[in-house]
Amino acid sequence: MPETHAVDSPGPGRAAAVPGTRQTEPLGSPSPRSARFRRLLAWHRARVVSGYGLGIALGIVAWQLVGKHSVQQIFAPLTETLQRLQELIEDGELASAAANSFATYAVGLSMALILGAGGGLLLARSELVRTALEPYIMGLYAAPMVALIPFLLAFLGFGFWAKSIVVALFAVFPVLLNTQRGAQSIASELIDVARLYRSGEKDLWVHVIAPYTLPFFMTGVRQALARGLVGMIAADIFLSATGLGGMLITAAQIFDTSAMLATVLVITVCGVALMAIGNAIERHFARWKVGQ
Amino acid sequence: MKDTTRSAGAPQATPAVGSASAPPPSAEPAPRAWYRRPLVVRVVAGLLILAIWQIVVELWAQDYVARPTGVIRVIPSVLTEKLFLSDIVTTLTAVVEGLAIAVVIGTAIGLVVGRLPDAQRVLGMYVNGVYALPIIAVVPLLTVWFGYTPKARLAVIVLEATLPVVYNVAEGARAVPRTYLDVTRIHRAPWWRVWFGVALPASTPYVLAGIDLAIGRALIGAVVAEFIAALDGLGYYILFNVNSFHEDRAIVALVVLALSAIVLRALVNVVVRRGFSWYWLA
Repeated sequence: MPETHAVDSPGPGRAAAVPGTRQTEPLGSPSPRSARFRRLLAWHRARVVSGYGLGIALGIVAWQLVGKHSVQQIFAPLTETLQRLQELIEDGELASAAANSFATYAVGLSMALILGAGGGLLLARSELVRTALEPYIMGLYAAPMVALIPFLLAFLGFGFWAKSIVVALFAVFPVLLNTQRGAQSIASELIDVARLYRSGEKDLWVHVIAPYTLPFFMTGVRQALARGLVGMIAADIFLSATGLGGMLITAAQIFDTSAMLATVLVITVCGVALMAIGNAIERHFARWKVGQ
Repeated sequence: MKDTTRSAGAPQATPAVGSASAPPPSAEPAPRAWYRRPLVVRVVAGLLILAIWQIVVELWAQDYVARPTGVIRVIPSVLTEKLFLSDIVTTLTAVVEGLAIAVVIGTAIGLVVGRLPDAQRVLGMYVNGVYALPIIAVVPLLTVWFGYTPKARLAVIVLEATLPVVYNVAEGARAVPRTYLDVTRIHRAPWWRVWFGVALPASTPYVLAGIDLAIGRALIGAVVAEFIAALDGLGYYILFNVNSFHEDRAIVALVVLALSAIVLRALVNVVVRRGFSWYWLA
């Protein structure tokens, strides 16, 4: 959201773009009722809208042109991709694939959230467990998760649960580490005050630790939403080839480029939506973050 | 249960005094019993994990499933295997090469997007889109474009690694302190000096954070590409050995992969901290 604050503080490069107006008033925000302010605002809005419009238009034109001038197996024009997308929607293939993928996603993500929250709290509250396990958890976190997939495949097979576990594995660490960081950073004043009012261990958890940790947990949730999606596609591609990832694999095998592009487009839209949801959740809970 | 509520350190005798929010560093290096020393605890925990792993596998899993004793037995033969060593070199060379490309491209795009609000509006949605897209989803497409060749792997690595750099550099370029920019205007600095002399150095920590993320993603990209395109490398070594019932050998490769991630990140950290020490001194 750079444009919201750009209104009252034009960037260094942009102030010079309106040289005539610079001398009339000192730097800083002009009075919001002045004609000059309204003119500037209108100019700014036009610029914002045309910027986004230009971006979309450029993307469409580039996609169409590149698609038109490349071999059919390499790239497909936007129109053809959208046509293929419509076909995929109409014959229900896309809907069933998406339902299949997001079922594993939902189950895996739920596992990750429960395990991550529980594990994170445990690590934060018990120094012994933390010192004992921290290096191993960090080591596992550093390892590229996809490299574990062959082992899981050999050990658990390639069914629904194996796929869900892949999603959970991808998503669990951000939740775990953020929850731990949050629960560990509780100011001891808060606990002292709670103790002063004779709250027992249960009240302490319900009224101090849980609310304090929640925003941190939600930061983990935001990251987990994105990583879980990666896990979902990875599970679709490397375990049983069903769902959205399965569609990609089948399309690649028969060089159905427009179907591949359509699927990638759908996955991108899902990714952007999940990112927006994650950001919204995080922002919502960040409101009561202490010390922000 | 009482002193578990304190986040770290030994329980304090006078909680009212000791409740300053920042734990005083090296306040009480109270002598701990030997069994509470972190190193001892960690080693014991590690051995315990290995023991549980061993027992579970012995009791419930097939013979080919990896177990600690088996892994230890094959370590020498794996580490001296020519194929394994060349696989390490292949994968890590590709990762480093891809990272270098990604850092250059990512910094350039990041500066443009971060410094020019207009460019942000035109390009921002594509940056967000590609960042939100799991790159694994385009690997099938990339294998169609580049064939089952090392080029495909490089492309995957570059794609994976570029976006975090773009994102972080843009963020850093946006967060340049106003006063710095005012000074450049007083001195009538040309745009390229503002970008590369002020904006880029000022966003060094963001660049570092971006590269840190990029390393993890680059390794993932390499492994994914090797899995899908069956290219020689550490990832394929793991896949091949798991599929031919040599899981013990694959575990060794997995550990090497994880270690190389850690080493690469530490290396970048050291280089940046050395090369840009003026930043942290300022």
